[in-house]
Amino acid sequence: MPEPESELSSRQVEHVARLARLGITPEEVTRYRDQLRNILHHIEALNRADTSKVPATAHPLEERNVMREDRREPSLPAEAALRNAPSREDSYFKVKAIQE
Amino acid sequence: MKLYQRTIRDLHKMLVDREISSVELTDAVLNQIDAVGDKTKAYLLVTRELALRQAQAADDRLRANRDVRPLTGIPIALKDVLCVTDVASTAGSKILRGFTPPYSATVVERLEGEGAVFLGKTNCDEFAMGSSNENSGYWPVHNPWALDRVPGGSSGGSAAAVASGEAIAALGSDTGGSIRQPAALTGIVGLKPTYGRVSRYGLIAFASSLDQIGPMTRDVVDGALLLQAIAGHDPRDSTSSSRPVPDYLATLTDGVRGMRLGVPKEYFVAGMEPAVEQSIRDAIRLLEQQGASIEEVSLPHSDVALPAYSNLARYDGTRYGFQAGGGRNIIEEYMLTRQQGFGAEVKRRIMLGTYALSSGYYDAYYLQAQKVRTLIIEDFKRAFKKVDALLGATSPTAAFELGAKTQDPVAMYLNDIITIPANLGNVCGISVPCGLVDGLPIGLQVIAPGFGEEAALRVAYAFEAATEFHKARSPLMGAAA
Repeated sequence: MPEPESELSSRQVEHVARLARLGITPEEVTRYRDQLRNILHHIEALNRADTSKVPATAHPLEERNVMREDRREPSLPAEAALRNAPSREDSYFKVKAIQE
Repeated sequence: MKLYQRTIRDLHKMLVDREISSVELTDAVLNQIDAVGDKTKAYLLVTRELALRQAQAADDRLRANRDVRPLTGIPIALKDVLCVTDVASTAGSKILRGFTPPYSATVVERLEGEGAVFLGKTNCDEFAMGSSNENSGYWPVHNPWALDRVPGGSSGGSAAAVASGEAIAALGSDTGGSIRQPAALTGIVGLKPTYGRVSRYGLIAFASSLDQIGPMTRDVVDGALLLQAIAGHDPRDSTSSSRPVPDYLATLTDGVRGMRLGVPKEYFVAGMEPAVEQSIRDAIRLLEQQGASIEEVSLPHSDVALPAYSNLARYDGTRYGFQAGGGRNIIEEYMLTRQQGFGAEVKRRIMLGTYALSSGYYDAYYLQAQKVRTLIIEDFKRAFKKVDALLGATSPTAAFELGAKTQDPVAMYLNDIITIPANLGNVCGISVPCGLVDGLPIGLQVIAPGFGEEAALRVAYAFEAATEFHKARSPLMGAAA
């Protein structure tokens, strides 16, 4: 596993932006690299805590497996759900090709 | 006193006694928005026609004496992260420009059921990510106490609206301090309920396991009234609790005699203004004089306050809101839309979250953060075995100048250092005005165990009843004609 404290590179920033589907300019790459390095350095405080015997908390809920009755109920009409779509065809959202 | 300067409780009595109508009251508040709205920039959208229509309906209800509730006819502002059917909702982001939700948040429906009046959508940091309201995708909000200062964030518009007389009360949301911190910085009361106490259905999410909606009001009684209206189970939010909702007013005035109050030594952080520390120490002494027993406690993991990672990956501009256009394929279209639609802080957090969750770093960052969250929960549990509530500052400083921290994200994050633990620890907290430092308000934070809102309100009320701080009004609210 790479060391988290190793300095974040510009290439990593570009890679992360691509993973996050975020277009960024070359100036932003440099700025975010420096800012994220600083934030990651700050986050390393996390490692001061000894968590070797501690379970993770994903959520704070008391209730488990919340179910509702399997009963038909009115739902949002398709027209209402599609009203904000920038582009549509019949009752579908229309998007650009996923594969060329 | 002008109508827009009054509390919910006062105005309710005046409405019921027919001294005023809701239309008159709503007009007074809308006029105040016209008078000072350009100075505070608290609203992104003022729903004047909707407000007057609702006020008219409230007056009918009052006249017929039909199901009159504490909020009937009271003008309230809604943070722009709360969806209202057919009312533009942007979460302070350009990426949602033009989005009109096809349904309302449960809290909005509840307030509608009470007969409340909606003044509009208040400005906030984009997707509630920020502590100064400077990350709004539209414009920053100015503090009604000093226009060159921030109002705090992310619910800065709601805070400024209540503090300037542009609303009688407001709803905000709090993921790491976003209700309590702006409440402190604008001299009002702000309550973050326990996670699960208030339905999040229709709240545009920031961090789904931390967000809570809560009241922002002129005093603690109003906070209790507004919480009462919005709290409770909602079948549409499976994370909302089915615990019964207590009558918050019933125990509000019981006082602190016999209560055990803890002072976490870690909450007096480095960088706290000496005058803030002095005010908090004075507040603690006052509660001791009221009959509470005070003891120092330790929350040893307070210093590893965590950055919350966002779940914004789904804002891709396909189903609603802004779409850049011009991309050759869907990936390019996503990248262009998100490049142009998101502001700097949201991009920063998306990248940080993506990096922390990416291969090789998950254990070191995300999993470690979840484990530290467990330690923080245990810290609170240990403390609450000994004491009924905890006391500390809400923010280490009073409001800072606009632009002072925008270039340094880490300095900005430190604003939330004593409010974030309550979100991670799944407890509740309230900020109540406790003084002025160089003419700027500061807040006392009372933290109570999960679902212990009654205790938090009771301590806050005891403090408020013994002091005059909550009666101070911002120059903008006081001076306007």
